[in-house]
Amino acid sequence: MYERIIPWQPTAIAGPKQALLVTPKTAKMMIKRAKRPLFVVGPIIKEDPLLKLTIDIAKKWNIPIVTTGDAYKTLRDREMDSNPYGIVEITNLLKDPEWKGVNGEGQHDLVMFIGCIYYIASQGLSTLKHFAPHLKTLTICKFFHSNADASFPNMKDEEWLNYLEKMKTA
Amino acid sequence: MVIHVAPKELKNDFWKSKDIKISFGEIIHDGEDSEEKESELEMGPTPKPSVTDLRSWDMKLLDRYEPFYAPFCDMCCLCTYGKCDLTDGKKGACGIDIKAQQARIVLLACCIGAAAHSAHARHLLEHLIEKKGEDFPIDLGMNIEIEAPIIRTVIGIIPKTLGDLREAMDYMEEQNLHLLSACHTGQEGSNIDFESKALHAGLMDNLGKEIGDISQIVALNLPKGDEDAPLVELGMGTINREKPVVLCIGHNVSSGAGILDYVENNALEDNMEVCGICCAAIDISRYNQHAKVVGPISKQLKFIRSGVADVIVVDEQCIRTDVLEEAHKNQAKLIATTDKSCMGLPDMTNEDPDKIVSQLVNNQIEGALILDPDKVGEVATKVALKISKDRKTLKILPEMDEIQEMASECTECGWCTRVCPNSLPMMSAVLEAGKGDFSKMEELNNNDICYSCGRCEQECERDLPIMSMMARIGENKIKEQKFNIRAGRGPIQDVEIRKVGAPIVLGDIPGVIAFVGCTNYPDGASDVARMAEEFLERNYIVVTSGCGAMSIGEYRDEEGKTLYEKYSGDFDAKGLVNVGSCVSNAHIPGACIKIANIFAKKPLEGNFEEIADYILNRVGACGVAWGAYSQKAAAIATGINRWGIPVVLGPHGTKYRRLFLGRTDLEEKWKINDMRNGTVVQGEPAPEHLLYAAENREEATVAVAKLCLRPNDTSKGRQLKLNHYIDLHRKYFGTIPEDVYKFIRVEKDIPITYKKDIKAILDERGWLPKKITSEPSIRDFKDQSSPENFKNKSHPKADAK
Repeated sequence: MYERIIPWQPTAIAGPKQALLVTPKTAKMMIKRAKRPLFVVGPIIKEDPLLKLTIDIAKKWNIPIVTTGDAYKTLRDREMDSNPYGIVEITNLLKDPEWKGVNGEGQHDLVMFIGCIYYIASQGLSTLKHFAPHLKTLTICKFFHSNADASFPNMKDEEWLNYLEKMKTA
Repeated sequence: MVIHVAPKELKNDFWKSKDIKISFGEIIHDGEDSEEKESELEMGPTPKPSVTDLRSWDMKLLDRYEPFYAPFCDMCCLCTYGKCDLTDGKKGACGIDIKAQQARIVLLACCIGAAAHSAHARHLLEHLIEKKGEDFPIDLGMNIEIEAPIIRTVIGIIPKTLGDLREAMDYMEEQNLHLLSACHTGQEGSNIDFESKALHAGLMDNLGKEIGDISQIVALNLPKGDEDAPLVELGMGTINREKPVVLCIGHNVSSGAGILDYVENNALEDNMEVCGICCAAIDISRYNQHAKVVGPISKQLKFIRSGVADVIVVDEQCIRTDVLEEAHKNQAKLIATTDKSCMGLPDMTNEDPDKIVSQLVNNQIEGALILDPDKVGEVATKVALKISKDRKTLKILPEMDEIQEMASECTECGWCTRVCPNSLPMMSAVLEAGKGDFSKMEELNNNDICYSCGRCEQECERDLPIMSMMARIGENKIKEQKFNIRAGRGPIQDVEIRKVGAPIVLGDIPGVIAFVGCTNYPDGASDVARMAEEFLERNYIVVTSGCGAMSIGEYRDEEGKTLYEKYSGDFDAKGLVNVGSCVSNAHIPGACIKIANIFAKKPLEGNFEEIADYILNRVGACGVAWGAYSQKAAAIATGINRWGIPVVLGPHGTKYRRLFLGRTDLEEKWKINDMRNGTVVQGEPAPEHLLYAAENREEATVAVAKLCLRPNDTSKGRQLKLNHYIDLHRKYFGTIPEDVYKFIRVEKDIPITYKKDIKAILDERGWLPKKITSEPSIRDFKDQSSPENFKNKSHPKADAK
């Protein structure tokens, strides 16, 4: 159990404040409670089944997507619309409580991440942990992100895909 | 423009330059030259700026490009009150908050980086003065009159001799002391002021580098802005393993030069190999073409483990601190050569060289500290000659069948992958090797996707020598590891600036892109070369230095040519300019400064703010430090930023904890002053960020093209720059960028190829044309309305210091 809840890259541990370990059930509860959630999809998501699962999750919960790196093209090729930002750019906007969000409807209150490079995501989550008390962060990668508010544990592929399957249902 | 023509022959290219008036009435003799120029010197407002003299400029930059913090650690552990938890808005026992703590660590990193470059420069300067005398002239050849643009701008002097550089060195050392002191507990309390100090530390770093490189160029007769500098052999496969091999690692050319001198003086060039890793390699190959470049810092552990080097000579910066242990593993001999890294070795500086050789060869000492470069040359050479033959019979790396056997013991714990900085699939590669398939390990070895930090090996519960396995597998294709690099040419010539100044400022040359820094790449070295190639094909000027320059050299295009073979070394469109080592980075802002001076006739001396404002708004330059890892790289980027030049880092760059990001959604941040008519106008977000980190090569490539936009672009230039930005966005993102409307000022700015699509975007956005700023500036009007600032021939502060 212990190895599941230390950061995937163990030296990413930043201090006493650690993420809450969540299951798909809790993660879905967080999405349901959120008024303006956002889904950040990184460039590691390139192929199925991950790509399809990611798109299915976004569609199921009808969450606007921000793509980082060059993930915009990957999703566009699947006719999935998204908003391209650099991961540091979107993090910079998310930490501003006055920002109006990707749809101009107001700052987001939950940001769910998948598929960003681990260490840069860890740094972005650290920014949000310290400077964005107005929102919660949730990571559904197969790696435990201690800088998030809530994170899936470290998992092997099979278990992770099973978790993501569960995220597709209410 | 009046040129003082000294009685010496001018190169042919010089006469091709435009806009030159020559006054033969002012032909002067050498002796009168300096007096004449000194008396003409107009001193600007900030010669030798103190820590706070450029604070107002910093505040302007920091207002537009606010610091973005990504804490690497939630705590502070710098004093015994701590550790202090800085999460949830909590402050430390001293009162510091998380933002100020991050900025403080950034300042500390910049001070360390600036100290490393400038202590290196101080060592070189004093060593070369000892060799050549303090009156040794600073002469960079006939095509370089502005020999030290950073020193001129920051210090306000025109250095004529090596001894003159001491004034700049003294100033720099004093400033770095003040800056370092601000890091102490209970000093600075504002993150913004910490950032201003970090920018000052970066500027000091620029200064230290310029002193270092000018010293070595003039005193060691390195290439002086030579666009046709020779191609030098590069790659692990270029080293003849049958010969005695001396390997230099680090940055300080002194000991490497000592070795090459000894080899040459004793006619041993054909009998042995002298090679280098990291910037030491670049600088010894600038000094003597007999030297070979093994490669960038990523080759360090691989090459040492290969056992090819008989003697390893380390000087300073970026050397593995366990190099002695690594040398012992294969019975190579280690010589440390500077006070920065003595490695626990006995000081043999004053011993007889033959005695040192004997003690090393007979294993009476585990290595030697020798602080005399000439003695290093003799000892290293003699030791290599003596031990090479016996070492060639040593079995250093495991055989392939042994690798398979070892790899089959893998317990699949997976920690090799988890501790890898890039989470590379090392465990899978080892498992496959255990089955006799080495292709995955080979893939990781190729292009330095694995840059051999060795963390996986430390973690392995079976103690598998993963780096040695990798080194052995890499040797299967060692013959393919033969490339080249153009020897570092040093500064950009004044005549080149005359030729390209206008096209750069007006936007006809779409940008100057500098690939610098280390090898902490997210996905291998070829990313850097591919980015360079992309921009070269698009007519940008590509400048490079250090490990980045070596990574570019390790790449071949579809025709099998290296980029140095394919592109000229001219500072011109489609030119690939290797300026040299880390300290040669100074010539990159130096070129931008020269544009302000030569093309726009802005006075340099003591005039930092006007020059930086000019560069920020008019010179479409962008740095890329794709694999930046060190404190030196932090200082380099921060210094470059203070001159108004944006920098893109790789994803690991976020671990520096701070970026400078613009907000395109906040229009008020982009108001700009038009100095031509005294009006404040709504400008565009150009450049959009000052220090940015991209997640992958594709994102970085598009970002770099966008970061070359400047408010001063003519419509023709803007069209050209936008054309590249849109092309690249289409290539990597599949669409025309939605933010393109932000950069269209008038219809003439629209690239013809994309006119229809862009007009649709403009209509959708309700776009209205706006006036193109004639003289864009972020300086206050009052800053530029005091011509008396430029009339003081000798500024009181310059006299005082």
